[in-house]
Amino acid sequence: MNDNREFIEEFLVESGENLDQLDRDLIALEERPDDPQRLASIFRTVHTIKGNSGFFGFSKLGALTHSGEHLLGRLRDGKIRLNDRVTGTLYSMVDAVRSIIQAIEETGVEGEQDFRELSQTLTAVAAQDDDEPAPQSAAAAVPVLTPPTAMPSVPPPAEPAPEAPTPATSAPAAAAAATPAAPATPPTPVAIPAKPAAQTADSSIRVDVGLLASILDLVGELVLARNELRSIESTDPVLEGVIHRINTVTNSLQEAAVKTRMQPIEHVFNKFPRTVRDVAVACGREVQLVIDGADTELDRTLIESIRDPLTHLVRNAVDHGIEPPAVREAKGKPRAGRLLLRAFHESGQVTIEVQDDGAGIPVEAVRAKAVARGLIDAAAAALLPDDRVLQFIFEPGFSTATQVTSVSGRGVGMDVVKTNIEAIGGTVDLSSRPGLGTTVRVRVPLTLAIIPALVVRSASERFALPQAAVGELISLRADGGPRIEGLAGADVIRLRGRLVPVIFLDEFLGLRPTTATRENGTVVLVRIDDHEFGLVVDGTQTGGPTSDPATSRDRHAVTIPEAASLSTIVVKPIGSLLAQLGIYSGATVLGDGGVVLILDLRGILRAVELPPQVRRGESAAAASIAATDTYLVCRTGAGRRIAVPIDTVVRLEQFDGHDVQEVGGKRLVRRGNLFTPVVDADGLLGGSTNPDSAGAVNLVVLDDRCGGIGIAVRQILDVAVADSVLQPSLAALGVAGTLAVGGIATEVLDLTALLPSAGFHA
Amino acid sequence: MAMPSTDTRHCCFLVGSDCFAVASTAVAEVLRDGKIARVPHAPEAVIGLIHLRGRIVPVIDMRRRLGLTADAPSANRTHLVIRLHDDWYSLLVDEMLDVIEVAEHAIEHPSKPAADTTHDAVDGVYADAGRLVHFLDPQRIVHSLSRQREPFLQRQGASHGGI
Repeated sequence: MNDNREFIEEFLVESGENLDQLDRDLIALEERPDDPQRLASIFRTVHTIKGNSGFFGFSKLGALTHSGEHLLGRLRDGKIRLNDRVTGTLYSMVDAVRSIIQAIEETGVEGEQDFRELSQTLTAVAAQDDDEPAPQSAAAAVPVLTPPTAMPSVPPPAEPAPEAPTPATSAPAAAAAATPAAPATPPTPVAIPAKPAAQTADSSIRVDVGLLASILDLVGELVLARNELRSIESTDPVLEGVIHRINTVTNSLQEAAVKTRMQPIEHVFNKFPRTVRDVAVACGREVQLVIDGADTELDRTLIESIRDPLTHLVRNAVDHGIEPPAVREAKGKPRAGRLLLRAFHESGQVTIEVQDDGAGIPVEAVRAKAVARGLIDAAAAALLPDDRVLQFIFEPGFSTATQVTSVSGRGVGMDVVKTNIEAIGGTVDLSSRPGLGTTVRVRVPLTLAIIPALVVRSASERFALPQAAVGELISLRADGGPRIEGLAGADVIRLRGRLVPVIFLDEFLGLRPTTATRENGTVVLVRIDDHEFGLVVDGTQTGGPTSDPATSRDRHAVTIPEAASLSTIVVKPIGSLLAQLGIYSGATVLGDGGVVLILDLRGILRAVELPPQVRRGESAAAASIAATDTYLVCRTGAGRRIAVPIDTVVRLEQFDGHDVQEVGGKRLVRRGNLFTPVVDADGLLGGSTNPDSAGAVNLVVLDDRCGGIGIAVRQILDVAVADSVLQPSLAALGVAGTLAVGGIATEVLDLTALLPSAGFHA
Repeated sequence: MAMPSTDTRHCCFLVGSDCFAVASTAVAEVLRDGKIARVPHAPEAVIGLIHLRGRIVPVIDMRRRLGLTADAPSANRTHLVIRLHDDWYSLLVDEMLDVIEVAEHAIEHPSKPAADTTHDAVDGVYADAGRLVHFLDPQRIVHSLSRQREPFLQRQGASHGGI
């Protein structure tokens, strides 16, 4: 047996491919039961498995495929006609063969399973009389995949099908030569053209993945050596020529080596026609599956990682998305739902869409469920926009399905999908229109091995940031422009009217004490899911004067970071000891041979635990909510607890009471050339102003909408999200109402009503 | 499996003034000291990373790992690169010594592993020509490090930027 090990392995791999081909062929056959080429292809595939199992002495497999072959022979000879009993039995056979193959793969033997009954069924079905009243056509009898009519991606029906594509195993080379350009693909419900296997068999070989990985490593080494070579100053024309040639060849070699890791997403999509068919049959749906962009390539390791999440999304779409045929007809939709699987490259990433034209997600049900599960209180839920409500679908254990089916609806799923996709640096989002359907969009990087990255400097160390998370670069300058402000204990940068929290990379990594880069440097705006934060670094790799460690001591130099150049870096693992720190996702070797850590921005976000109100995101969709329910909480001189909507606050200042000047009846505080009008919070609220102006005063400076004034308070308490909605109160002067912040009733300043009365107009 | 003779071979090295050894089967490579990229927030003994033919290898400073006082760094500092399952580690030692062959029964094993950082990785001792060789278990050298994690810098709430 051991002598055969190599052959058996080859047999197993080949059988796996053959079984996938069988699945596709069977579905196509259901579509066109009288397609002789398709039937012949199925027959040959089963025959091949049977032949091989006989050769290796797998008797169960042999017996099973023998019965299957017999049934297929009867079909081929027109002795029996295809109906759902026949196809169902054939599918059972494929599944049984698959489980035996799996058992052989795992244990080396066929296993204990007993398939005699199935063999008998196969024989019985084969023996059925042709005159037996069989359902007129399989396509009408079972909910099956109906052919796409005007799908651009579907190859045109090859009318008199020429040489059928034949499985690699039995195809003579002549067949390959006969149909190289136009694969004879009868109209299938899927847009994946069945590859002429014979053609690929001649031009491809199997290579161990480990070997490919080591080739890629060696190419990386070569690139480094090449870089060193290029740095040699030489006037020798011969040497110059050689260096140039080595350079060109190395580049091409690297490109080619990277390509060996890429695989078309077809490897995942290929399974879906069968998945969709099975789920559709189990749930009583009719589904037309359309696949587009199956040739989109991505790293093979990622292909494995997206398989399960995508399968889940596809099952979900069929089970929960697409309505039963009768319901669809009543709504005036075609009986068969349309499920579109689309993959394409987009800005260095692969986007995969799973789109159905079903009922859509009932937003109100999600809202109610979210409230019932205590994820949000009823009042806040009522204010939440629909697209935000839909995000609750990704909460663990969340399902709106009223019935648990065998396929889905147990409430495990979407959160796992999200977690798995995020684990490989991808994102998932979902949009849904009631009655029209749901689209789930999964974005994953092309590869995890080679990524575009931004190399930054902090305290003369270099770090790489994955470009996918980098939004923009903002240069900090001492003389005006964006700068970092303190807001209730958190550093923020003001960006187009939003306050974005910032993290000082040098401080975070403990490279040097804080405040060093407050005036100069670069803020890298990082976006992860709906979180956004600024990472303050000294400069980028090509960052001009400040990024030079020699001059970095001069912190007052004006920084003009050049447009950052993105490098393509090869991600290398750093080992479990350092990976468990959770803030580095790997390391890379730069062109100069230096080892540079790659920051795990998601991990950093977790480690710093940004306050929830900013962490909850300032993305366009969320901005409206975040802006209205987050407040700056202060205590006035008279001890009243007040709140100001955070989106009106520009900055917080502290000054000495003596700095206030009275000009023309208005109180002003001067900072540089800037005068800020000041009103006392107690004065605004109709109370007596505390005349004792000595000592430190905190000033909450509001934006231009509120006249750019500063409200003097005694103490800044907190930035917090309101626990309740605003309860309007008409009684108190200058108070818009009260609400609970941090469990304590707090008065909200009525800025619109206050300002004219205070004599300040915007 | 490896030949019996290689099982008993051990690479000896100096850390401070003491002689240590690891099984030669665990050793992947011996390198001269070179440029080390530091890793902020790493366990104290992990002083950084080196690049070894396409592989990124964490460097464990054996003086720090064994809790020995840091005298002036040795001029003969050497990376002893070991392999532990799929991970590689470089043990930064003061000087490489010889390779000795010791039969398993000649090694005295401690009755139970010590708890202090100097001895917790010591798997056995052997007196060899006037010197005491401490055999280190590579697994244990690394294992205790993964428990030592520096708590992350907590951001202090009181810093109001513009004030």
